[in-house]
Amino acid sequence: MLVTNIKNKYEHASNMLRKKRERLISKFLNKKDPLFLEHNAGILDDYFRESFEKSEVGPMMGINKNPYAIFALGGYGREEQCIHSDVDLLFLFEKSVPDKTEDLIQEIIYPLWDIGLDVGHATRSIKECVSLSAKDPEVLTSVLDARFICGMSLLYSELMEQIRRKIINKRSDKIINRLVESNLKRHKHFGDSAYLLEPNIKEGQGGLRDYHTMLWVARIKYNIKQPRDLEYYGLLSYDEFKILSEALSFIWDVRNRLHYIAGRRCDQLYFEYQVKLADTLNLRKKNGLQQVETFLEKLHGQMEFVKQQYLMFIGEQTHTKKIQSSKKFNAQTKIYGLEVTRDMLCFISPEAILDSPDLLIKIFEESARLQASLSSEAKRLLKEFIYLIDDDFRNSSFALKSFERILLAPSTTVDVLNDMLSTGFLVQFIPEFKNIVNRIQFDEYHLYPVDRHSLLTVQTIKKFGTPDDKTGDQLCGNLYKELSGKKLLLWAALLHDIGKGEPTGGHSQRGAEIVNDILKKRGFKRSDTETITFLINEHLLLIKTATRRDLNDEGTAITCAGKIKDIERLIMLYLLTVSDSISTGSTAWNDWISVLLRNLFLNALSILKKGELATGEAVEIVEKKKEEILLSASSQQAKQELEQLFNVMSPRYLLYTSARDILEHIELYKSLGNSDSVWKVTRTSDSNTRAVTICAKDRPGLFSKIAGVFTLNSIDILDTQAYTWRNNIALDIFKVKPPLDQIFETERWAKAEDNLKSVLSDELNLTEALKEKMSAYRTFRPRATQRPNRIVVDNESSSFFTIIEVFTYDFPGLLFSITDALFRNGLDVWVSKIATKVDQVIDIFYVRDFDGQKVDSADQVAAIEKAIAEVLPGSA
Amino acid sequence: MNKIEAIIKPFKLDDVKDILSEIGVHGMTISEVKGYGRQKGHKEIYRGAEYLVDFIPKIKIEIVVEADKTDKVVEAIIKVLNTGKIGDGKIFVFPVEEVIRVRTGERGKDAI
Repeated sequence: MLVTNIKNKYEHASNMLRKKRERLISKFLNKKDPLFLEHNAGILDDYFRESFEKSEVGPMMGINKNPYAIFALGGYGREEQCIHSDVDLLFLFEKSVPDKTEDLIQEIIYPLWDIGLDVGHATRSIKECVSLSAKDPEVLTSVLDARFICGMSLLYSELMEQIRRKIINKRSDKIINRLVESNLKRHKHFGDSAYLLEPNIKEGQGGLRDYHTMLWVARIKYNIKQPRDLEYYGLLSYDEFKILSEALSFIWDVRNRLHYIAGRRCDQLYFEYQVKLADTLNLRKKNGLQQVETFLEKLHGQMEFVKQQYLMFIGEQTHTKKIQSSKKFNAQTKIYGLEVTRDMLCFISPEAILDSPDLLIKIFEESARLQASLSSEAKRLLKEFIYLIDDDFRNSSFALKSFERILLAPSTTVDVLNDMLSTGFLVQFIPEFKNIVNRIQFDEYHLYPVDRHSLLTVQTIKKFGTPDDKTGDQLCGNLYKELSGKKLLLWAALLHDIGKGEPTGGHSQRGAEIVNDILKKRGFKRSDTETITFLINEHLLLIKTATRRDLNDEGTAITCAGKIKDIERLIMLYLLTVSDSISTGSTAWNDWISVLLRNLFLNALSILKKGELATGEAVEIVEKKKEEILLSASSQQAKQELEQLFNVMSPRYLLYTSARDILEHIELYKSLGNSDSVWKVTRTSDSNTRAVTICAKDRPGLFSKIAGVFTLNSIDILDTQAYTWRNNIALDIFKVKPPLDQIFETERWAKAEDNLKSVLSDELNLTEALKEKMSAYRTFRPRATQRPNRIVVDNESSSFFTIIEVFTYDFPGLLFSITDALFRNGLDVWVSKIATKVDQVIDIFYVRDFDGQKVDSADQVAAIEKAIAEVLPGSA
Repeated sequence: MNKIEAIIKPFKLDDVKDILSEIGVHGMTISEVKGYGRQKGHKEIYRGAEYLVDFIPKIKIEIVVEADKTDKVVEAIIKVLNTGKIGDGKIFVFPVEEVIRVRTGERGKDAI
């Protein structure tokens, strides 16, 4: 039948087409066809013309009586035919669509399906076409791109005339408005994080659709006939059009290769295609970058340019009273050399800039102050005169102050920093910034190239405490509001990743070095430079500590606080860390990570506020001690062992124990081995007291057991310092009165040590053994003039421990009584300090419950107070 | 075959990864999870404002091992995690019916 006949007849033509396509594609892949898109459209045109000529059905349709023509629509109409692009055809009839049309379509189009081409077609009369275009903006834009292939040529002008008269002339503004709005939606959708790592080169920001929209708007408003008219009609400058064409050329190259690699129409640059594509392009590799990173950087840069051109173009073309929202805007600038026209800032003339190059930065300051955008003309002039910014300008204090005002200005509608970046001003002003422009990090973690990320970090900070705050609570807002060094923080945010411009690692340190030079050259105050470089050097400290260290361990917070030493710096570092994470991407910021970070921050803050543990002085003291101790090491291995031990000792212990004692304790610790405890008795210098140092495996109740053993052996405790190391070793130092029996002292000590071992191995029941002794002690009565006992349970001063202070009068067995009471109430002593002055005792215990938590419920606190009060003298 | 699921404190992740690698377990799945349990969320106060967090950030590690290796792996993980304090974590062991490697179609312990 007709179909099989057709198949035989057109097989030849379609095969020819297939062969031509293959040849074209391989020529393209060998980089030998810069006009691939046009040629690809051309061979299709040839096919359609040929098959139209040879058509059997065609002549039967009476083209003279019912004229018709075949048009190319959409991308095919624009001659932008990529390897796997659709082929969109329109069969247009002057009067009505005859029945035979179906057969014509079969005849011409079916053979194309056989060779794997995706061909779509519409059959319409002119009237139908116009009415559809009036209703559906997508039909309108595809018809705007229509291109005559074969048939009655005057149908083209008829169609276009009607479209213009009946649709465009009546409501061009409305149409353009709709286009702009749907593009806004598109930009928002494709600006989403998912698309930043795998850009969509057609629909994404700076993708081909942006360019198409420019063409459509130009066609509607100015009736341009070809892309070059954008330049000829003065809508784009010569340079702009040139660079735009080059950018588009690159993007199409990428798109074709993407089609080829994917084997189908594909506009999204998925991960698995990125490396392959990069390799086929074979770009010249930049220093230290992978091939794929160089590729992505270039693609990003080109798309960014297209996007900027698009935004500028649309901004200009839609900027009339009718289209703009009816919001009245009375911006005025008093700066000589600048003017505000239709809400946009511009220079009054190029000469004004030459007369006063300061305008180049003043315009940004005004833009920030008035929240008015720069006109396209202003941006063009900026690019042209940017060379006027030389070292004198950069290092001038005027420019610096102006820049800082811009940096500090809240960013609401107008993104001034972004404008500074896209016009090239930022790089000209801070040349070191150039290395991170478009710098892409090829992993799933970093969504933005480094330059954009840096600007985002600055913005995120400025949004703290505003309705656009991305953290979801008020902490950062409050912290930022009270910060006196906002300027310094924002400088650090702007430059924190500048070290990433260099291929080697260690970008924090390298960044700090680079920034130190930058700031010095510009005459920054020394203290300011130090703060900014400190922030940059340590901008990863908090996040690393929060994810890699035990946040439940006081030592973590102390060490971290000790590196920062200053509350204001800690707050700045925290704000920088939070905004850095938010601006990296969603894998870097979510409520999981935010909780960890905030925990660490508040703990470190509380340590710094209480002072003493993490001040600069404290840190120095500990460092000196460590150095002193290391001097005693005889070999490299011994040194390493000591370093390891330092990590295990708690910061409190290191701060409050002398170097000499630490060395002794280390020996004691080494002798512990697998036993539960080991102790050492030494005479103190005045030989009236003894120091008993005990090193034992910590467990709840240990402290009370030791105290109990001393009481059992009638040894009076004067002072105590108790510490717990991070590896669960208790280090307790007791200053005691020696046993009354001076002759057999050694034996007495041996017996006491034995007692302790028996108690710890549960062989000896301490409570039983002490019964008699304790009942005798309980008859102690305080003197009438003595002050009352005092018990303070403090849950505020430390984030890690409940601190219990007991002020009372000494009596034998006191320490055991108190610590036993603590143990029986489920408390574990971590740190303790006991001092006796004549007969007054101050006992401080840092405790946690057996689960390692503070005890802060009101009931628990009351129970503890009661339990301790019961065992104190004067209570019986 | 068994699936071993361990809920651990975030900073212990590297230790667990190291010990697993040492005993020859190389594949694992890691997720950031929120823990609600006996270990209380922190109540932090800054300038009188309370920041109450009701969960504890934890990490979940999931691995599938042959049945006869299960005990060894569990012991190794426990050794690395145990500090005797709350929040050390929990380990769950589940039986696994089938494991398939999609690329090659391998099944059972060859697919682990």
